[in-house]
Amino acid sequence: MKSLSITFIIFTLALLGFSTYQALFVAPTEQTMGEVQRIFYYHVPSAWVAGVCFFVNFLASIAYLWKKSLDADALAAASAEVGVVFCTIVLITGPIWARPVWGIWWTWDARLTTTLVLWLIYVSYLVLRRFAAGGQTQTLAAALAIFGFVDVPIVYMSIRWFRTQHPSPVMGGGENSGLDPTMLQAFLWNLLAFTCVGIILVAARYRLQRLENEVEAAHAQLALEGGAQ
Amino acid sequence: MTGPTALKAAYAVTWIVELMYIRYLFGRFRRVRSEMKGLKRSS
Repeated sequence: MKSLSITFIIFTLALLGFSTYQALFVAPTEQTMGEVQRIFYYHVPSAWVAGVCFFVNFLASIAYLWKKSLDADALAAASAEVGVVFCTIVLITGPIWARPVWGIWWTWDARLTTTLVLWLIYVSYLVLRRFAAGGQTQTLAAALAIFGFVDVPIVYMSIRWFRTQHPSPVMGGGENSGLDPTMLQAFLWNLLAFTCVGIILVAARYRLQRLENEVEAAHAQLALEGGAQ
Repeated sequence: MTGPTALKAAYAVTWIVELMYIRYLFGRFRRVRSEMKGLKRSS
């Protein structure tokens, strides 16, 4: 298992190097925006990983409420935290792209606002898990996660439902959407590389959560034994 | 901010955020492992 993990990490690092090379040196320069368009190859895959993480969190939260499984809760905690990391990257790289292209860092359009709301929902989820007292924390967190996930499809659909400053969908957005084949290739490599990074981070965070649960159980056991003596 | 500067900044920020998170995970792993060792000694 350990050697499999190390092999996967090495594969991911090689893939990241290759995908970054594709994004920076192989993909053609976009005619209107120029070099800054290459931010797309990191920005969109980060958004994808964040969305997948929040979906995993949603499923794990349902599983926790249904089975009361601590493993499901650990997966929910892990995926939410990694999702917030990638959503943070989206919220930073977006304005860095916007400044030279739009002339402004931020605007309160539907896509940007719903993404910020999404980030706030999952940050509050993590705060709830960290600071809530009492035995119902995991149940409350799972309920918040299920309601919070409602914002994910809203973020995705916002550029289809509303007229936004944010660019319209590059793929699956109708007749005028689509990518140059070399750009698409670079994009797909980055999507794969970022997905692998997301898997590694969620797996590591999941393992950490399980270790923390074990330590907590051992502390409780020691306290019980101490009280009994 | 010019295009190339923005591009470098965005790529750098992505890696800085991810590396900071990995460092944070390592720190927590270290803390949990030392706590486990302490628990084993005391039990």
